[in-house]
Amino acid sequence: MIELKNIEKTFGTGSVTTPVLKGISFRIERGEYVAIMGASGTGKSTLMNVLGCLDKPTAGQYRLDGVDVVNLDDEELSHLRNDKIGFVFQQFHLLGRTTALRNVMLPLIYAQEYPEDAEDRADAALVAVGLEDRMTYQPSELSGGQQQRVAIARALVTDPEMILADEPTGNLDSRSGLEVLAIFKRLHRQGRTIVLVTHSAETAEHADRVIVLKDGLIAEDRRIEQPRDAEEEKARSQQEETVT
Amino acid sequence: MRILRNAGEGLHSLGLNKLRTFFMMAGTIVGVAALVVIMAIGKGTERKVMKRVQNFGPRAMMLIAGGGKDLPPPDMTVTTLELDDAEAIRNQIEGLEVVAPQAWRFNMDLKHENYQTQAVVWGVEPQWHDAWNWPAVEGEGITSDDVATLARVCVIGSAVKRDLFGNQNPIDKELYCNKVRLTVKGVLEHRGVAGMGGVKEFDNRIIIPITTAMRRVMNVDHVGAIRIITKDAALMPRQVEQIRALIHDRHHITPPQEDDFRIVSPIVIAEMVRGTSGTISMLLVALAALSLVVGGVVLMNILLISVTERTGEIGLRRALGATRRDIFAQFLTESLAVTLIGMIVGSLVGYGVSVLLPRFTPIMAITSWEPLLLALAFALLVGTFFGVQPAQRAARLRPVEALR
Repeated sequence: MIELKNIEKTFGTGSVTTPVLKGISFRIERGEYVAIMGASGTGKSTLMNVLGCLDKPTAGQYRLDGVDVVNLDDEELSHLRNDKIGFVFQQFHLLGRTTALRNVMLPLIYAQEYPEDAEDRADAALVAVGLEDRMTYQPSELSGGQQQRVAIARALVTDPEMILADEPTGNLDSRSGLEVLAIFKRLHRQGRTIVLVTHSAETAEHADRVIVLKDGLIAEDRRIEQPRDAEEEKARSQQEETVT
Repeated sequence: MRILRNAGEGLHSLGLNKLRTFFMMAGTIVGVAALVVIMAIGKGTERKVMKRVQNFGPRAMMLIAGGGKDLPPPDMTVTTLELDDAEAIRNQIEGLEVVAPQAWRFNMDLKHENYQTQAVVWGVEPQWHDAWNWPAVEGEGITSDDVATLARVCVIGSAVKRDLFGNQNPIDKELYCNKVRLTVKGVLEHRGVAGMGGVKEFDNRIIIPITTAMRRVMNVDHVGAIRIITKDAALMPRQVEQIRALIHDRHHITPPQEDDFRIVSPIVIAEMVRGTSGTISMLLVALAALSLVVGGVVLMNILLISVTERTGEIGLRRALGATRRDIFAQFLTESLAVTLIGMIVGSLVGYGVSVLLPRFTPIMAITSWEPLLLALAFALLVGTFFGVQPAQRAARLRPVEALR
């Protein structure tokens, strides 16, 4: 469970300060699929950094799975990130010239208890994203969509509390994007908590709930009655292609 | 072990960029190789010094006629040293065991009946036997009476005995040297072949009383050199100065006027031997110091560039749970691994050069394991010293900024 209360974030010191988050409160229950949406400059990235425990808020409370994040020091935050958050980035952020398997194992290296079955776990995570036949491939040998799927496997390998995806389809063509969103949908159905940060309303509609940011505040927080199903859309577009 | 996993990540990164890794390593390789060679040359030189000094006699000095920078040719053409100089040293300098003046001439014709040969003729005093520790093994050596009476006697080397007398007993036989008739009164101990002072064969010589040599054979008033043995090697530096002062006085030389003689002692010999390899060693020391420092700076700069280049990677690792310490450990590992591998490669190169050097040059080099310890210390020092700053910079990157 994720709980934010009156989160504020102000940049700059002294007389020149820029408030970016002006009091954000929301709760995300375990197993929810939430999109955080907003145009650039609305504080979307800052909120994502706070959610990802990469940055601390200036004021407010943040509880992640019962842990009071605000009072943790740098080292504790590192361990918390490793333990509870699986990141997926817009630019994939895979290590170059390093196999998919090794990339997926990377978070386990920083686990407080290195699992003896690290390789098996990475293996399983790659199977979960459908890359069982690409384990020894390096990023340069993979398509953009495949690279992002490796990144998702890397996010899954620690069995995190939340998957935090920052514009995961931003660097992909629409078809690879759909593939990635289909994986998220599947993970959601398996009970994972997914927070998808995006500027695109279209992408946001794949989630069950959307939180819209505007000017550092929550402008809208609503359920999506009929979320889009990437799996279905993918199948349909494939059909169309075969027809034409 | 978390630290080992970090080290593993560091090694993995090094492996990804081999050319960069090589450049980081180059300074250490050259520096350590130079270090190993320096120490091998140093050891080789000391061995050479010891051997030369042992040959020369650890308690011996030679007062040689002729000054200047280069050694005079050993042919007695310089006429500045006299028998009286030897006498004065004997009487005025304390703590000396032997003072043995000598005159010599190369390639003298010797004849016995129909047999002829050429040999070096040495005019000596009785002390000569002690000064060179070279006794007569048949008959007897030169005595003071022989010197006092300008006796026409000689003691012959084993090569001369072989050439002139074959298997005969040479004692009391006669031979002619430059038309001077000499009676053989002894045979010198066999010394064998060695290469020192232009004398190829030690045993191809005869010795005669120095007075006989000067008056009857060579017709000169001077001696070529005086060999002096001290009672105590510790006294030698002072005695050298005393002898120098005495000869200055006798030859009316006031510094900075140039000496017309030189005193060779084990100290001078050691200096001569160390001279050439010393220059090379100095150059190598400079090279080693320079490459270790320059190599270290290059290493640091490449690491700093690589930290900047890999900001995204560092941000990613931080996001995935790496602590500052993890990042620091990874980058310090990269630096240390580079210098350690550089040290191993450098040591191999250094040992290779040390083994080849004596084969193709006159430089003596003796390899040993001690340089390895020094090289290891240097590698760790350079790796740490130049690795800490980049590692700190990497560790201090804030994940939010690094990921941007």
